[in-house]
Amino acid sequence: MDNLGSIALAHQKSLKKRVTVALLSVIGIYSFVYLQVDPITPLLTLPNVFLFFGEIFFPPNFNGFSSYIALIVQTLLFAVVGTYISAVLSFVFGLLMAESINPIAPLRIAVRFIVSFIRNIPILVWASLLVYIFGIGNMVGLIALILATFGFLTRSYAEEMNNIADSKLEALKATGATPAQLLVHGIIPAFFPSWINWTFFSFEINIRASSILGMVGAGGIGIMIQTNIRLFKYQEAMALIIILVILVLLTEFCVNKLRKWIL
Amino acid sequence: MTLVEIKNVSKEYKTGQKALNDISLSINKGEFVVVIGPSGAGKSTLIRVINQLVSPSSGAVLFQQQNITTAKGKKLRKLRSHIGMIFQHYNLVERTNVLKNVLHGKLGQVSFFTSAFGRYTQEDRQIAMELLAQVGLLDQAYKRADELSGGQMQRVGICRALMQNPALILADEPIASLDPKSSEIVMTQLKEITESRNMTTIVNLHQVDIAKKYATRIIGVKKGEIVFDGTPVELTEEKIEQLYNNEAIPAINMENPTMILAQQEEHAYG
Repeated sequence: MDNLGSIALAHQKSLKKRVTVALLSVIGIYSFVYLQVDPITPLLTLPNVFLFFGEIFFPPNFNGFSSYIALIVQTLLFAVVGTYISAVLSFVFGLLMAESINPIAPLRIAVRFIVSFIRNIPILVWASLLVYIFGIGNMVGLIALILATFGFLTRSYAEEMNNIADSKLEALKATGATPAQLLVHGIIPAFFPSWINWTFFSFEINIRASSILGMVGAGGIGIMIQTNIRLFKYQEAMALIIILVILVLLTEFCVNKLRKWIL
Repeated sequence: MTLVEIKNVSKEYKTGQKALNDISLSINKGEFVVVIGPSGAGKSTLIRVINQLVSPSSGAVLFQQQNITTAKGKKLRKLRSHIGMIFQHYNLVERTNVLKNVLHGKLGQVSFFTSAFGRYTQEDRQIAMELLAQVGLLDQAYKRADELSGGQMQRVGICRALMQNPALILADEPIASLDPKSSEIVMTQLKEITESRNMTTIVNLHQVDIAKKYATRIIGVKKGEIVFDGTPVELTEEKIEQLYNNEAIPAINMENPTMILAQQEEHAYG
């Protein structure tokens, strides 16, 4: 082969590159100017921020720990119940939404529309809305959690189901299996690993989410964090925040162990 | 005796791709038919219109003198239950054990409750075990399907098809993902079983030498049409050439070795 001289790695158009860089910088700078945010001030005051934070939040005050236990359990159970109910609902709606499983197009499109509507409303908006309708209470937090998880899980499930359906089900169909048999012997076993993965993932999200929910008056550990900060009891609030972090880390650890054990 | 009759079948996919163009074909009981042809010729579609996994755009397929193309629901499932199928990627349910995978062959013949709660009869279990023994996998019966090697999975696939006690077996590229040794085992078992049970088998292959070794009849498909139909002896080098290389072969450029490689690959996977 002839020597081709120096060989470029790609036919990159340098104009395209330059335009991209220019656009990104303009957007970045304009945003700061428009919002009148000075990026320098926070950097300069950073030491003071730490000092202030250290003074008022530390040391954390764990004296009220015994009264927090109920809240911790509540937060955990919120996540458990919320995930449970959404996992079941989402499985059904996932089937309805998966193109290669549900042959009725209008139903599929309707489900897709509803699910994507529900999914695109953030959980805090759901909670605020529901508090407005039902008043403050645990039920509100739970419903918000279920709705948000439902939107997220249904879509994830439906995508996984679509992947399975094409190849795996052909074999069972060829034996003359009924749709119900396809579901039990084909879809469910093949879908099981992704079911576990997505559901556990959303459980982890829900632990965090259920602590936020308290901030809008929907029960759980969040409401105590909020209350303590409002009453200037920062050291108690810090204790709660630390408990929350430990709770989240513990959940992640346990969920990972459980996942490995199951799969 | 005619087992399968394909009458003027055409298939055009929604994408506009024409897979089959007015194909007529009849297959007799006891034949071991191998369908060969370049990829994209319509082999897979041809095999799938027989058990209605693909429904033809026009024409009809008769299986045991019954029109499977117009069959729906229960009748379709009943017809399908007499046709076993084997796939390139085995399509086993991987998280389920080998024995249960074999018993899946019975799905079309048992009730939902029988299969869902694992209430297969002892007789069926016995048959499944015997089939596994026949292909040398008896000791793997309680392993999860995904623990097996490719060749072993394909033999489970054969057992699943045989569990249906089928009159016809369709095999879509059953050895395309296997090494030569496993390929030989799979093809030999398929051939022996077809003969001993007096069944009929239609296999898609892309290895002409293997086709000639096992087939009683070879069908060459190209661009959705049948261009060869005869015995292995009748399939001469010239005919093979016509089947695979009608287009003028571009002159091989010896100074550019990658060209040759690309062409060889096209043959191997083509």
